[in-house]
Order: sequence, then structure tokens, then C-alpha cells
Amino acid sequence: MAPKAITSPVPDSLYPTLSVLTLAIGLVLTASFFIYEATTSRKTRSLAQELTTGAVASVFLGFGSLFLLLACGVYV
Amino acid sequence: MMRFALTLLFTFTFALLSSSPVFSDLILAKVDRRIDLTSQIVRITTSLKVENAGSNPASEILLSFPENQAKHLAYLTVTLNEGKGKGKASSGAGLPVEVVVPKDVPNSLTFYYVSLPKGLGKGESLLLDVLAVFTHSLEPFPEKISQADIQLLLFQDTAHYLSPYKVTVQSLTVKLPEARVESYTKLEGTKLSGSELKYGPFHNIPPFSYLPIIIHFENNQPFAVAEELVREIEISHWGNVQVTEHYNLFHGGAKSKGEFSRLDYQARPYVRGASAFRRLVARLPPRAHSVYYRDEIGNISTSSLWGDSKKTELEIEPRYPLFGGWKTAFTIGYGLPLRDFLFELDGKRFLNFSFGSPINELVIDTLIVKVVLPEGSKVISASAPFPVKQRKESKFSHLDLVGRPVVVLEKNNVVPEHNEYFQVYYKFNSLSMLREPLMLIFGFFSLFVACIVYMHADLSISKSSASYLAKVQWEEVQATVQQIHNIISNCLTAHDKLEASLRDLSRTGDVQACKATRKSVDSLLKGVSKDLKPLVAFLQSSPQAAHILPKVEELIAKERDLQERLMAKHTTVVDCYEKKLGGREIENRIAPNQQKITALRQEVDDLMDFIDEI
Repeated sequence: MAPKAITSPVPDSLYPTLSVLTLAIGLVLTASFFIYEATTSRKTRSLAQELTTGAVASVFLGFGSLFLLLACGVYV
Repeated sequence: MMRFALTLLFTFTFALLSSSPVFSDLILAKVDRRIDLTSQIVRITTSLKVENAGSNPASEILLSFPENQAKHLAYLTVTLNEGKGKGKASSGAGLPVEVVVPKDVPNSLTFYYVSLPKGLGKGESLLLDVLAVFTHSLEPFPEKISQADIQLLLFQDTAHYLSPYKVTVQSLTVKLPEARVESYTKLEGTKLSGSELKYGPFHNIPPFSYLPIIIHFENNQPFAVAEELVREIEISHWGNVQVTEHYNLFHGGAKSKGEFSRLDYQARPYVRGASAFRRLVARLPPRAHSVYYRDEIGNISTSSLWGDSKKTELEIEPRYPLFGGWKTAFTIGYGLPLRDFLFELDGKRFLNFSFGSPINELVIDTLIVKVVLPEGSKVISASAPFPVKQRKESKFSHLDLVGRPVVVLEKNNVVPEHNEYFQVYYKFNSLSMLREPLMLIFGFFSLFVACIVYMHADLSISKSSASYLAKVQWEEVQATVQQIHNIISNCLTAHDKLEASLRDLSRTGDVQACKATRKSVDSLLKGVSKDLKPLVAFLQSSPQAAHILPKVEELIAKERDLQERLMAKHTTVVDCYEKKLGGREIENRIAPNQQKITALRQEVDDLMDFIDEI
């Protein structure tokens, strides 16, 4: 059985594109999170919405920063 | 002089030994030795034709080297030569060779056992090729030279092949780098033609026969010797193998004495400084990227790189030419694609990488290869085609929690022949790759949680001060106004639905659908006024809302007006359709209402914006 070459799960050439996309979405979600924080008053705020927006934004930001590091040559 | 005394001592010892017991009944029928002195590394290729003259089949052959040579032996390989004739190269991997110390010989000889795959039967013969590579075997003589002197080296060896077996016919050829030989031992039948020195042929030499010869010749090849080389190979499963090599080089030839004149060197480099070397060529694997060459001061720009599909060639020039005894230290780094070097077989992953340095003709005194595996690698083992010292370490690098496991392989006396592939095996769960993005995600999420906590926390010290109470009331007013705003938006959406249904009516003529829409909007708007009542009441009671209240009331009133007019218009249009009146007629009837509607709508929108911004 011939050994199989291992490559990364995401093709190398896609790293810059992916990083820009995921970071953009992440930043948009972060912005919506902060807008929600700024415009609602204490009574009408809902913790569930805050947490979900924060969680989804942090997922996109996390992957975005990972792909950004990889695209810049810091192979973590 | 000490050298001559030693060689005489050897001659006597071997004369004694020749009367010692015979090791086996093998005879070397033909021995051809070629000594290659064209670079700083001495390579001796010996072709042996071994015959079994005894009655027992032999499964091992002994090779012997004198002690002073054996301690410089860097690489020894023995291959079976299957071809007939000199042109055919020997095939297959080398035969297993082992160091052994037989009992009744003095320590001045080192023996190597070569195990044959199938025994050599009685009367059979076998062709073997032995390649022995020696480092630091050329001694500079004179030991110190000035810039204008030529570099002369001394090489000592034996004209008769030193072997525990009898040799029937043997010959020796020495290949020199240039045609210039200062002196050489002249024996019978010695011929110097061009840059080749031929000794022999010698017939029927007894075992352990040693006939010393000394050759004193000129060699201006670069004597690049690395005192220590540390190669770090870091694997990242995201697609890159990063190699960083730290070199500590010196010139291993005749030491330089006296002054160094840059002017003389620049003007006539081949006369003043022929033995110095200026550039080194490194042969990197193909598809190497991000190559850098720097030292402690910074980047060294005197380098050039070109590559094709088989290799990437890097030519580097240290900051100054290296004369005898001079040192330099630098670092080379490059990245390689992962798929060329990392493979998977039977659930285990392994890295297949070359062991030695990529620089041509470099002798390394101590080579340390460190393979840094990603965090989460388990069951790590390394295998190399020659003996190396292994140990494990740990390294902290990007996004690491516990550190990455490092396999350290160390070897002394390394020559370019050691540039073979070695493997490092390990097990890695692909899901462990997610650990890195999860760490980043968790970091960002903690920022968001901190923000939420800050917004929810009530950090005021006094809960009954006037300003705190005022703030609380203002927040309540804000909340109420927001609710009113939301309700009015819903109303406006309902108005838009009505308008849309009118447009649909003009397109499709479906009166029933229009009526249905109106009914639903009607019920919606009825509930609105009920919702608005308590909110407005609260605003009226709150002192903070004083400046907002008139605007809010105005908004509600206007919205109600708009609602009524819109309903009237809708009713009119539906009636007209039922009576099948023309378009012109419809427009005439709703014209006065329409103007007011548009104006009111604009005012309501303005008020909504104003309220939104408080």
C-alpha cells in the first residue's frame, strides 16, 4: 500500500480569500452586537440574543484570525 | 616526524600480524582502489573480488582500517556489484556492516564485519564495492600560510590494501585536484599522468601488509567545515514544513597568518588568496519558498536563488571571504509544501526528510536535527539509515498549551553522503487540528462576555442619589419610547401592506384578496390603540419625558389620521372596482385624499426619526 501524502484540510491558495470573508462577516456581527448594546435600554435587553450574537461573531472572528495568520505565513 | 614514526610502528605491527592466524579462507582475487582527493573529503572506493578458497561457506567478510584512519571514518557502505565489467553501478541498498573487535589483534586496527545475504560457497566469487568516506584526513603542511602562499596538503595511506586476507592482484589510483603535486612516495612502477597517480599493480601480497605512501599536493577546493549545525524542521498540518538551519562555519585548511590585504585580494583573487572561499551553494528541495539568509547583524543580501521542478539552488556569499581558520555564523531558513514530505500509512503519519545539510561538500563536526511535531502527536519514533543519537524535548511555539514534542537526532562527523532520507513516525488525531481555532474563538468570546458583563453590571455606589434615580427614570422613558416606536413601525408596515394590496388590485383585479387584506389590517390596527394607552399614560406621569411627550402625542395623532385616510381611500378604490369604473374616475375620487396621505406619511416618518435619536 503506497503511502498517501497529507495536505491541509483547506487548500493553501484559499487562505487569503477565506480570511477576508470570515473576518468581514465576523466584524459585521461584532458591529451588530455593539449596536444592540448601545441602543437598547436595560429593560428591553435580552441576554439570549446578546450571547448568541457574541458566540456567532466570535466563531467567525476566530476562524478569520486563524486564516489570517496562515495567509501571512505564520503556520500555527 | 611524529607521523613517520607512527607509520613505521604500523609497519612493524603488521609484519608481526602477518604471522597471526588466518581469519578465514577467503582470498581477494582482485582489488582496485581509487582514492579521490579532489575535495576536502577523502573518498576511497575499493572494488573487491572475493573468492572462497576454503571448504566452508563464508557468510561474513572482514574489512579493516588502521586506527588513525578509522577515527576519521564518516561513512562506510558496501554494495554488491552484480554487473560484469566496470561500467555497471552496483545496485540495491548496502549490505549490513558492523564494527567488531576480534580477540587477538592489537587496538591499532578497527574491523568491520560485512554480512552477506547468501553465503559464499566453496569456489565461488563475489564482487563488492566498498565506499569509505573520511573527513579531516588531509593535513595542511605547512600548517600556517600567508595570503599569497599556496595551500599544500599531506595525505598518508598505504599502497597495499590493508586486509585480513591475501590479495592476489591489486592496484591503486589516486585522483588529485590539480596537476600540481609537490612530492609523492615513489615506488616501483609509480606513474603520474596529469592529475592521476597510479601505484601498482602489486601481486600476491600477504594479509595485513601495509606500505605507507605520502602525497604532498596542492588543493584549493573550499574547505568549509561546520563546527555545529542545528537544523530545526517544524511541521504544521496547515500545509507547511519550515526548516531553519543555524550554521557555525570555519575554514578547515591551512591557517592564515600575517595580514589580510583586501586590496591584494580584490585585485588578484586567484593569486592572493587562492585557498580562500567566497561562496557556498546549497541545493534545496524543489518548491521551497520564503527563503531567508541572515545572521546576528541582520539580513545578508549577497545571495541568489533560482529554482526549477527538481531543485531550488541557493548560492550564498558570507559577509567576507573565508581564509584558513576564519569563522562565520549564519542562519538559513525556508518553507516547503507539506505534501512533499508528510505521508500517512496504516494510521500512522510519517515525515520523510533528508538528514544532512543541503550545502554542497560541507563537512559537519556535530549535526543536530530537531523535528518539531504539532501539539497532540503521540507514539513518536524515529528511524534513520545510519546510527544516530536520539532524545526528546519540548518546544513552545504559536498557540501552544503544553508545548510541541521535539525529536532530536544527533550525529558527529557528517558528510554529504549522509543526505539520505530519515523518517519520524507519529500518530495524530485530525480533530486535534481544531484546537487552534477553538482557542482563538474562545479568546474572542471571552471579550464579548466581558462586554456583556460590563453592560449588565450595576456599578453605581449609591442607589438613592438623585443622579442615579434620574438615570433609572430616563432609562425607563427610553424603553417606553422605544416600545411606542416599535408599535408605530408595525402600523406603518400595515399601511404599506394596504398600499401593496391596492397595487395588486390594479394589476390582477382580484377584489376578494384585497378585501381580505383589509380585514386583517383592520384587526391589527384595532389592537394598536389598546397597546398604546398604558405607554402614553406612563409617559405622561414621568417628569423626565416632558420634552418628548408632545412629540409622541403628535406622532400618535398623525398616525391615527393617516390610518383613517388610508382606510377611506382603500374603501373608495374597492368600491370603484366593484362598480367597474375607469381608472380616471378612481383617480379623481381619491385625489384630495392622496395628497394629504403623502404629506402625513412624510411627517410621520420625520417624527419617527426624531424619536429614534433621543
